[in-house]
Amino acid sequence: MTGPKSEILFHGCGVASGITLGTAVKLDSHQRVELKTSLVPDQLESEVNRFRAAVEASRRQMAELKVSLEEKVGKEHAFVIDAHILMLEDRSLLAEIEGIIRSECANSEWAVRKAAATIQQAYQSLEDEYFRERASDIEYVVERILINLAGSEPFDWDHLAGDLVIVAHDFSPSSFAAVDLERIRGLALESGGRSSHSAIIARSLCLPSVMQIPDFVHFVSTGDAILVNGDEGEVVVNPREERVAECRARIEESGMRALPGPGGAALPAATRDGATVSLRANTELPHEVRVATACGAEGIGLFRSEFLFFAHSTGFPSSEDQYLTYRMLVEAMAPHPVAIRTLDTGAEQIWTGSDLSGCANPSMGLRGIRLSLRTRDLFRAQVEAILRAAQFGSVEMIFPMVSTVEEIWRAKEVVREVGRSLSARDGAAVDVSIGAMIEVPAAVLMLESIAREVDVLCVGTNDLTQYLMAVDRDNPEVANLFQPLHPSIVQCLQRIAEVSNTLGRPARICGEISANPLVAVLLVGMGFRQLSMNPRSMAIIRKTVSSIRVDAAERLAERILRLSTTQEIVECMVAEVSRILPLDLGQYVREITNPVLGDGSATGFTPGRRVHA
Amino acid sequence: MIREVVLVRNKLGLHARAAARLVGLTSKFSSEIHISREGRSEAIDCKSILGILMLAASQGTRLVLSINGRDEVEASRTVQAFFDAGFGEEN
Repeated sequence: MTGPKSEILFHGCGVASGITLGTAVKLDSHQRVELKTSLVPDQLESEVNRFRAAVEASRRQMAELKVSLEEKVGKEHAFVIDAHILMLEDRSLLAEIEGIIRSECANSEWAVRKAAATIQQAYQSLEDEYFRERASDIEYVVERILINLAGSEPFDWDHLAGDLVIVAHDFSPSSFAAVDLERIRGLALESGGRSSHSAIIARSLCLPSVMQIPDFVHFVSTGDAILVNGDEGEVVVNPREERVAECRARIEESGMRALPGPGGAALPAATRDGATVSLRANTELPHEVRVATACGAEGIGLFRSEFLFFAHSTGFPSSEDQYLTYRMLVEAMAPHPVAIRTLDTGAEQIWTGSDLSGCANPSMGLRGIRLSLRTRDLFRAQVEAILRAAQFGSVEMIFPMVSTVEEIWRAKEVVREVGRSLSARDGAAVDVSIGAMIEVPAAVLMLESIAREVDVLCVGTNDLTQYLMAVDRDNPEVANLFQPLHPSIVQCLQRIAEVSNTLGRPARICGEISANPLVAVLLVGMGFRQLSMNPRSMAIIRKTVSSIRVDAAERLAERILRLSTTQEIVECMVAEVSRILPLDLGQYVREITNPVLGDGSATGFTPGRRVHA
Repeated sequence: MIREVVLVRNKLGLHARAAARLVGLTSKFSSEIHISREGRSEAIDCKSILGILMLAASQGTRLVLSINGRDEVEASRTVQAFFDAGFGEEN
């Protein structure tokens, strides 16, 4: 065993602000916790036997696999399994693993992973590509042993003390459902990125998070002390005492700042010249409604209902389950409205395993309202749940990914049908407002026709940017083109604001950009009067709105609409807004400049550096 | 104890299938059989497929065998023949 572990500093992309000091929980590719438990000497023999039994079970399964493979593809190709079986029988490997169990009093899972990691590392240093690739065979064999070791015991989070930080290569939105959210205080991932779905959830849960940390997971073990600095994009494993002390002080300081001011009462924000701007919360998880009310939200501007579906890893939530959740939200926010977006599975699908998955370009595929209109029973169940919840307060039903007027007609027809059968059944007449997400460029171009069909327009700036710029925001090769302040987006937003005002249909910005004070000034200048955002950002945006005058914001918007590059727009915003806004904008300036003008670190262009301190 | 040098003759080198067969072959003998790259000191258990693959022995690599035990003569002959035959593969 090594002595006191030395501090290791990693750099990645900070995607959710704040600082966390906690204990690492390392998850493997199946979201299983990699944990070392300490055994007492008496337990070692039975642990070794448990390991041997898992190896034997794995060997048996592979022998069966070999037989079936031989039948299917012929003996010639089944030899791969021979190599795998021999790896399972490899006495140097078995001796190494049993040695770790005995010398470290460790559980088998830990020993298997540790031994495998050492060997895989050795393989990965080989020059010959063929032999280097054999590391993946070892992975396969180890995976098989771990499956057999897993049995049926779920992980008991009480094994670990204090605040926990998830450390993993990847952490999909559905994984949030699998962990104990009350204990998790941060994320540190190798994959992901600022606009990834997990980053959005992390922000809405206020989990300090750093993503895109290259070559990182390998250096962390469950139980390690870990510091996540989402502001600076830094992660420190086994931080030095001085660093811990410094960090504690900063956490305390920022904790005081982050405390929601209004103490529960919804506060309208008004500009210095009296225009009111309604600030609403984007939420993902039902229990975020507490944060939303604490931050003074005037309603939920966008409830992303996907999480309910992610949380049900087997099958879909029943209409009744959904109803109870929606009703809780509606009652908690009343009298303020709750906008419930119907199921919008995006590029990060929950459909894996179903017939609907597997297309090469999911964000252009069957998703949002397209999917709902195709899976009518699922859609009806959700519509019914929303309509029933609407009896308890004010509800907007928002259809995502609308690209044609006919889609709205058909969706509204379903709402009418379900409404009729509900009132026939319960005798209750229900009324909801209908809204459309404006995120497909087609919808912007024919906004008048769409606006006449709905009560409210919700602008999804992330997706709009992605579709307008034809850029996959999670593809690091092109992520620098994901520019939410590109002139084309700005023109679209201006058009949306104009149509909204002309036709008297409120338009609400629901993208992450409305949480940035610089952008908020621009949006107010364009004429938007509803901004929906991560509730923790409301305090700064409320302050922003109350510090400006509409005419000054309008002048800024006019000027910006004449510019032809993102860089010019950003520079103009920074220059003008810092003149009219008496706030420290450093962090927000970085937010909008990094991806465009800077070194690209926010988009994952610069490989992170690792520094051994 | 017997020491001898063998040559990897076939085109693919001592790849997974050949390594699996070599392990199968050597495991039949009670002698300790070690293998290393010529000129390198670390000797690898020739009954360990993970060790053999780590040699990353491509075509033309010279390997040193050291065999020690009651059936070392027979083992040496068998392993030598296996290498000489290019692992029984076409190239």
